[in-house]
Amino acid sequence: MLLGIVLLGACSRPQAPELSQGTLLPSAKPLLEFELIDHQGRPFTPGNLQGRWSFAFFGYTHCPDVCPTSLSMLAQMQRKLEKDAALNTLPQLLFFSVDPQRDTPQLLAEFVPYFHSSVIGVTGDQQQILKLTRQLGILYAKAEGSGSEDYLVDHSAAIILFDPDGKLHALFGVPHDPTLIANDFMAIKHYYEELQ
Amino acid sequence: MKRFLMALALSASSWLAVADSGILVEDAWVREAPPSARMLAAYMIIRNSSDRDRVLVDVESPQFSHVMLHKSEVVDGVARMLHQDEILVPAQGSVVLEPGSYHLMMPAPETHLSAGDTVDFTLTFANGDNVQVQAEVRKKP
Repeated sequence: MLLGIVLLGACSRPQAPELSQGTLLPSAKPLLEFELIDHQGRPFTPGNLQGRWSFAFFGYTHCPDVCPTSLSMLAQMQRKLEKDAALNTLPQLLFFSVDPQRDTPQLLAEFVPYFHSSVIGVTGDQQQILKLTRQLGILYAKAEGSGSEDYLVDHSAAIILFDPDGKLHALFGVPHDPTLIANDFMAIKHYYEELQ
Repeated sequence: MKRFLMALALSASSWLAVADSGILVEDAWVREAPPSARMLAAYMIIRNSSDRDRVLVDVESPQFSHVMLHKSEVVDGVARMLHQDEILVPAQGSVVLEPGSYHLMMPAPETHLSAGDTVDFTLTFANGDNVQVQAEVRKKP
């Protein structure tokens, strides 16, 4: 009898997955409006996050160490997901610039596809970038003591996962491992679909 | 001929100086980057077999206008790149320049560097030792 109740409970309410790198938000957070531009010059708004999963990283093209490492990691993760027969649609990979002063759509267009053909670079007006980052808890600022041209930008190193409803769904802190994040993603997706 | 012998003597003496310094550099590489990348990073392992700490104070390369010593670190979730005036290589120890930590940062040259190309660096230590290093450009991962 008790076993029956436990089983019934287990069936009716899926268990949240145990993640090795990711942190699920207690409840997914919808986004307020923002209006940015992708690397092909097309508008990028919350609507672009609808209908599929999206991984996002915030960085800048003048960053030679952390950003290429994170983009390579996301590309590696994507190549693992490409081999997963259980996945019909691959997640979007988004690289949001926190340095719109230098990162034009053209520069992003020459930068992001190098890592994986599916990466979309997004930039735009500083105020619009702030509209997005403030909602996500992403921080960035020009580094102190930087020169006027060769400046550095400090920025949050987290990778963000948006669900197909366009809501902030999970966060991945450093260090990032492509296999662990791919596994976490499949578990998160499975759990999300069970709850639908 | 005289000039050649002179060059030979000079290179032999500098090689001896390197051997004497106890510094050994391994696995030096430059991350291949998209052609539009303005900045590049280089990594290596610097070993110090001597009984004295060595301090890396300067790096030069004929292929770059300048080379900076940097360290990336993540504090409270925020990634920062910090300029380093020097990098300590402890006695009987080593320092690892690797992604997400110590690295060399260089402005990308006009000629794009592709995987398989090589880059020459001269590492200068506080005691005056110079160590020549050849790094391979690699596409990672």
